[in-house]
Amino acid sequence: MDTAVHPESEASLIEELKRGDSTAYQKAVREYSPGMLAVARFYLDHSSAEEIVQDCWVTVIDAVQKFEGRSGLKTWLHRIVANRCKNRLRTANREVATDFSETLEPELANRFNSTGRWDLPPKLQFHESADTLMENGELSDCLDKHLSALPETQRSALMLYEAHQHKSDDVCNILDVSASNLRVLLHRARQKIFLMVETFQETGEC
Amino acid sequence: MLMCRDLAEIASDYIDGELNGRQNLSVKMHLMMCKDCRTFIGNLRASSNLLSAHSSGKADEEFLRRIDERVAEALNARKIRGSDSE
Ligand SMILES: [Zn+2]
Repeated sequence: MDTAVHPESEASLIEELKRGDSTAYQKAVREYSPGMLAVARFYLDHSSAEEIVQDCWVTVIDAVQKFEGRSGLKTWLHRIVANRCKNRLRTANREVATDFSETLEPELANRFNSTGRWDLPPKLQFHESADTLMENGELSDCLDKHLSALPETQRSALMLYEAHQHKSDDVCNILDVSASNLRVLLHRARQKIFLMVETFQETGEC
Repeated sequence: MLMCRDLAEIASDYIDGELNGRQNLSVKMHLMMCKDCRTFIGNLRASSNLLSAHSSGKADEEFLRRIDERVAEALNARKIRGSDSE
């Protein structure tokens, strides 16, 4: 399911965008909007996030003329979204609160005894490959449900890092979190997905 | 000595290769001796792969079409501006 734009085709896409080719815009909108939405959701509620992404595409038409390709197109777009969101929050005078003090999910932390050994070890091995697992529509729906229930900070970090394959530096930059906090966000989110898949494999229920 | 709980705390760092040499070694030693933690690490890694495989293209079609419309409008406005100044 790799839809990533390759470097050469990214360069030609950028040229087409600069020329104002509407087909190129449609292609780019489909390629990059999901990631842009993930970034915006780090800061804002769903409808405001969609609004910001729409506005960003309109500003891209002019801004892309000055785009020199020093960063990738995706990173550049994500940065535009992040800046817009930060500006809006600044004017709304609202802070995004996050707790970085705990590295373990409570539900997982409870599974160790006082000496630090497993009390309730993982029972099953997730033997199937990721692609096979994703062919299971129910699991895919379950994953969607759990992803949307994640705190926004964790979801965005996860989507940017795992699904959109950004480098850590880029994610820190886009989301304005420190490297160590990003590690906590990722780890907490992965544990939640781990717990979800475990329940799903054991009970067949989401 | 590294306990199972300690390992669970740094498991993502291990998976992503973010641990220093000494930490990495103690995780490897622990994993050699502890089947439960091997399962845990394997499953956590599978969870991470699952997310990479999970289609990120989840923005709904109506939302994308609204963007198309606004972009088309803006492109037209730009063309008109451009031809005026020429
Ligand atoms: Zn162990």
